[in-house]
Amino acid sequence: MPGRHSLFWRLALLVMAFCLLIIWVSWSWGGRIEFRGYLLSEAAQQQLLDYAAEAEQAWRSGGAEGVERWQTQMQQRESVWLTVLGRDLRALGTRTLSLTETERLTAMRHIDWPMSKRASGLPVIALPFPQQPLDGQLVIELPERFLPEGFTWHAQLLVHGLLPCGLALLLCALLYRLLITPLQHLREQANALRGEQLSVRMASQISARQDELGELGRAFDHMAERLQGMLSLQRQLLRDLSHELRTPLSRLRVACESGLDAEQLRQRLEREVGGMQRLVDDTLELIWLGTERPQPPLEPISLPSLWALLVEDACFESGWPQAQLRCRLPEDCCVRGHLNGLAQALENGLRNAIRHSPPGALISLDGRLEQGDWLFWLEDQGGGVAATELEQMFLPFIRLSAARPGGDGFGLGLAIARGAMQMQGGAMWAENTGEGLRLNFRLKSV
Amino acid sequence: MLTCNLPTARILAVEDDPLLASHLQQHLQDSGYSVSLSGDGREGLRLAAEGDFDLVLMDILLPGISGLQVLQSLREQRGVPVILMSALGGEQDRIAGFSQGADDYLPKPFSMDELKVRIEAVLRRVAYERREFTAPGLDPQLQFDDSRTDVCLRGQWADLTQTEFRLLELFVRHPEGLMTKAFLYQQVLRRAYSRHDRSLDMHISHIRRKLLALGYTAGRLETVWGKGYLFTREGV
Repeated sequence: MPGRHSLFWRLALLVMAFCLLIIWVSWSWGGRIEFRGYLLSEAAQQQLLDYAAEAEQAWRSGGAEGVERWQTQMQQRESVWLTVLGRDLRALGTRTLSLTETERLTAMRHIDWPMSKRASGLPVIALPFPQQPLDGQLVIELPERFLPEGFTWHAQLLVHGLLPCGLALLLCALLYRLLITPLQHLREQANALRGEQLSVRMASQISARQDELGELGRAFDHMAERLQGMLSLQRQLLRDLSHELRTPLSRLRVACESGLDAEQLRQRLEREVGGMQRLVDDTLELIWLGTERPQPPLEPISLPSLWALLVEDACFESGWPQAQLRCRLPEDCCVRGHLNGLAQALENGLRNAIRHSPPGALISLDGRLEQGDWLFWLEDQGGGVAATELEQMFLPFIRLSAARPGGDGFGLGLAIARGAMQMQGGAMWAENTGEGLRLNFRLKSV
Repeated sequence: MLTCNLPTARILAVEDDPLLASHLQQHLQDSGYSVSLSGDGREGLRLAAEGDFDLVLMDILLPGISGLQVLQSLREQRGVPVILMSALGGEQDRIAGFSQGADDYLPKPFSMDELKVRIEAVLRRVAYERREFTAPGLDPQLQFDDSRTDVCLRGQWADLTQTEFRLLELFVRHPEGLMTKAFLYQQVLRRAYSRHDRSLDMHISHIRRKLLALGYTAGRLETVWGKGYLFTREGV
C-alpha cells in the first residue's frame, strides 16, 4: 500500500477525474450535437414558412378554389403530399381528406422539432398561417432534400475522436507537469555534478516534497553532499600529505649535503624512511576507512585483556612504568566489536595520552554499562585542550601541539581511531575533565 | 630456536622492478637461499610449474598477467608455498589473494629483515608439517589432553580454546625458542600476519590469564618486542 504522501494518490485522482470528464463530455456534448443534427436548417424552415404564407395568401384571395389550385400547383413544384387545413382539421380545399390522409395528421410535427426518417417515411409538418394562425395551417410532408443529415460521420469523429484526443492531450500535459518538470531539476543537478559543480543542491520546492520525487531529490542531495565531502577530504588529504612529506624530504636533503659519515647517514635515512612509510600507511588507512566504509564481522572482545596487551606495548615503546597505566574496568567487561579496529582506536588514544602527559602522571581506563552499551573512557592528566579543539582534534593532520606539549606524530592517530570506532558501529568523542583530556568510546555490550 | 636444518631452500622471485629484484636476490643469497629471478608473470608461472622450488615470492601487479592469476594457475598445478608482495596494501587485495591460496602477504615497502622473517616462517611451517612428534611428558606441571584440547593442573582445567591449546602446545614443545609472529600466524592461525592484526596477541593474553588463574609456575610466556613470543623456564 503506497504511503499517504505517495505520488500514487495524485496520479489516481488525476486519472479518475480524466475518465469522468471524458464520459461526461461525450455524453452531454454528443447528445446536444446529435439533437442539433436532426433539426431543419434555417433555409428549409424559411422555405416551408414561405409555403405556409403562400397557402394563406391562396386561401384569402381564392377561398376553397384558390387553395385547391395552389395545392395542385404545389404538387408539381415539390412532388410531396400536402394539404391546407382549417382550425378544425378539415380540408380548406374542395377535396375532403381520405382515411390514410387523416391518419397522417395524427403524427404532425412542429417545424422546430427534430426530424428523422427512421419512424415511418418522411415526417409531416404542421405550419400555421403566418398572419392569422387561427384561420388554418399548411400540413406538408417534408421534402426529401430538406431532411436533416442527422448525426453525421464528421460530427461523430468530432465527439468520439477529436474530443477524447484533446482531453488526453490535456491529461498528458498535466502528467508532464506533475512528473517531468521535477525530473528536469534532477537532470540539471546531474549535469551540474557531471560538470563537477558539487555545491549545487535541489531547489527547495523539490526537496521539500513529501512524495517519491521529493525522496529522489533528497537522495540526490545526499549523494552530492557525500561526493563533495569525499572529494574535499581527498583534496585536503593530498595537500596535507604532500606538505607532511616535505619535512622528512628536506631533512634528508640537508643530511645529503651536510657531509655526514656513512653510518650516521644510514641511521638518518632509516629514521626518515620509517616516518614516511608510517605517514603513507596511516593516510591510506584513513582513506580506506573514510571511503570504503568497511563493515567487518564483530566478535566479543574482553576489554581488560586487550588493555593488558596494549599497555605492554605502550610501556615498551615509551618507557613508562606499567603502574602509571591503570584499568578500572571490571574483569568481565566484554564488548562486541572488531578486534583490530578497537585495538587500533584504543592504542592511538593511549599513545596520544602518553605523548601529552607530564612524567609521573596517571592514565586510566574506566567505564560503565549504559543501556546495553559499554561507555568507556581513557583519562590523562595532560591539562586537556581548548573547548573549540575538542572536535577539531579528530580531523586528520591537525596537531594541537601549541597548546599541549609533545607531539611528533602526523595528527592522524585520532582521526583513524574515530574511523575505526565508527567502522564497528561505535562512537568516539573527547571532553575535558579539568585535570586532563577524557577520550570517550561507546560500543555495544555482549 | 625452533630447529630446522633445511637444505638450501630454492626460492623463485617474480618481480618486475629490476632494482628491487636484484636487491632481493642479493640479500636472500647472502642469507643462504638459492634464488632464481623472473621479471614477467607468464615466465614466472612456467618456471614455478616446471622447477622444483620451495617457495615463490610474487608481486601482484606484474606485466603481462596479474600475480593473482598466476597464483590461481599455479595452485591448479602445484602446492608450492607462495608469498605475495604488493604496493596495493588494501584489504580487498589481501582478501582476494588469500582466497586464491597465497600463504602470506607482504605489503610494500618492506624491509629485508621482515621478508626474511616471513620466508623462514613459511618454510618452517612446511618443515614442521613433515615431522612427526613423540608426545607426552611435555611439561612438569601441565597435563595436555588432545581430545579435550585443554590443559589440566592438579585436576583443574584451564578452559582453553582450540587455538589457545595449539599455541600453548607449540610453545611448551620449544622452550627458550623465539617464535616469530609470522610463524605463529602460519602455524597456528593459518593466515598471513599484518601490522594491525591483534588476534595472536589476544590469544597470548588469554593464555597468560588462564595459566595465572591455574597457579602455573613452571614457565612463562614472554614478549620479545617487535619480534614475537618466547616460552621460558628460566628463573622460575
